[in-house]
Amino acid sequence: MNFSSKLIENAVNAFATLPGIGKKTALRLVLHLLKQEEGKVDLFSEAIVKMRKEIQFCVVCHNISDEEQCSICKNPARNQDLICVVESLRDIMAIENTGQFRGTYHLLGGVISPIEGVGPEHLNIDSLLGRVKDRAIKEVIMAISPTIEGDTTIFYLNKKLQPLNVKVSTLARGISFGGELEYADELTLARSIMTRTTYNDSTR
Amino acid sequence: MSNLFIKQLQLTNFKNYRSEKLEFSERLNCFVGQNGAGKTNLLDAIYYLCMCKSYFSTPDKSIALHEEKLFRVEGHFQKESALEHIVAKVRVRKKKEIERNSIAYKRLSEHIGLLPVVMIAPDDTHLAMEGSEGRRKFIDNTICQLDAEYLTNLIRYNKLLERRNALLKQFGKSGTFNGMLLEAFDEQMEAPSQYIYLKRKALLLKLLPLFEALYKQISLEKEAAAFVYHSKLEQQKLKELLQIAREKDRILQRTTVGIHKDDIEFHLNGHTVKRFASQGQLKSFVLALKLAQYELIREELKIKPILLLDDIFDKLDVSRVTSLLNLLLENEFGQVFITDTHVNRVEEIVQGYASDYKKIEIEQGTAIVN
Repeated sequence: MNFSSKLIENAVNAFATLPGIGKKTALRLVLHLLKQEEGKVDLFSEAIVKMRKEIQFCVVCHNISDEEQCSICKNPARNQDLICVVESLRDIMAIENTGQFRGTYHLLGGVISPIEGVGPEHLNIDSLLGRVKDRAIKEVIMAISPTIEGDTTIFYLNKKLQPLNVKVSTLARGISFGGELEYADELTLARSIMTRTTYNDSTR
Repeated sequence: MSNLFIKQLQLTNFKNYRSEKLEFSERLNCFVGQNGAGKTNLLDAIYYLCMCKSYFSTPDKSIALHEEKLFRVEGHFQKESALEHIVAKVRVRKKKEIERNSIAYKRLSEHIGLLPVVMIAPDDTHLAMEGSEGRRKFIDNTICQLDAEYLTNLIRYNKLLERRNALLKQFGKSGTFNGMLLEAFDEQMEAPSQYIYLKRKALLLKLLPLFEALYKQISLEKEAAAFVYHSKLEQQKLKELLQIAREKDRILQRTTVGIHKDDIEFHLNGHTVKRFASQGQLKSFVLALKLAQYELIREELKIKPILLLDDIFDKLDVSRVTSLLNLLLENEFGQVFITDTHVNRVEEIVQGYASDYKKIEIEQGTAIVN
């Protein structure tokens, strides 16, 4: 692509580094910003710079936070002896959106994947063990995707947690809501039968 | 015993076929033509529809006709009274799609076993002569067609193995070691390895008597042929084996024990086939093995698999082929495909039975139907 202005070119190249944005979309966004009033664009760029500069990661659970500790860890109404272990920020948002979980989180920042070169030392595992040791945690819930990498991570964490005498649980695996049995894959169906729940519990 | 046969095959850009449509006989079909005309490719196309891959381990990207970006194989099968319309679509750098009656499979492994097939090709002798991988593939190929869960376990084991090896390499490179993490893999591999070991053992036990009888029939000789399954899991569980081999694995940076090291040893009169068998004995041995595979699948599934015989005259002299064909045309076999370079050889042999026989002449990727 040829630009008559070096400034435009720089801006386009910057936008094109974002995930899911190609050169053409980048140009569209840049031209859109060019049409805006200067003040509006200032606010826009300021929001981005401020976000990157001022955001903190919670010292307890590694969630994003505006302060040293995130609003979930500081909230006395939340069950502080229950930890839900997740892979990424998006998982916290998804679980929060359900409105069903009143405990705290622990963000691992990934899963163990030897092929990608991610080992336990790259994840927030030590701080999890520290929390369980120091804060009389009753239960750790593993909310990690049931892939080989996820399973390996759960397996490893479970081994690490065992000597600390804490209950370790994982998300239930089975038939999804609104799903039809005949379309469920055999593995899921087999597992759902093996780990079936008592009817009165499941309807609550 | 139910029936299975392919009625019609349609190819687009498959190997040397630009576009071709063929109709088949329910019983015996013969592809005749010069070397390199594309006879074997037709067998491979049928195999592809049954097993979602080429028999010759040709990668998908090399199957499409020169410079083409996609290939397509389509087949109309009849199984018992049901029609099965199978389409394989493969595009460059896209996930391959297999459709059954217009519905694409989410997992290709779900398709394996629906249309049982056995291929016998001249280079099968590598089964006896080369490394153990071919022999494991042979046994895996057989069990996968009988038991869907086997393939699931095999895939899981192989994925875990790949990651365990990557982990060992990482340890080697960085000079660190984490025994607990290695154990996380060891323990996850335990269940699938046990499943695979038991299935392999049970299957080979069933295969042995069938094989022994067939070898006697084919070789017309008095030698005793047999095979033995070797697996370290016979004595110990994988978990313990991995524990023992840990130091060795660390040094070599790969997993040195497990079902990926299993082997089958072939014997003839108490000697190993690899070192002592003549060419003729070798061919008879492998043919008997494949026919035993056919019989076993037939007995287990109560359905006659499609039999693909590539260039059998290369394997055997005319009298043996005649007796083999006689065997094939009895009711024990369902639909059979044969390739040959001589136009009339098969025809002469089967003349007496030729009620349901179709000859298709092949010339450079085009079929001339008589």
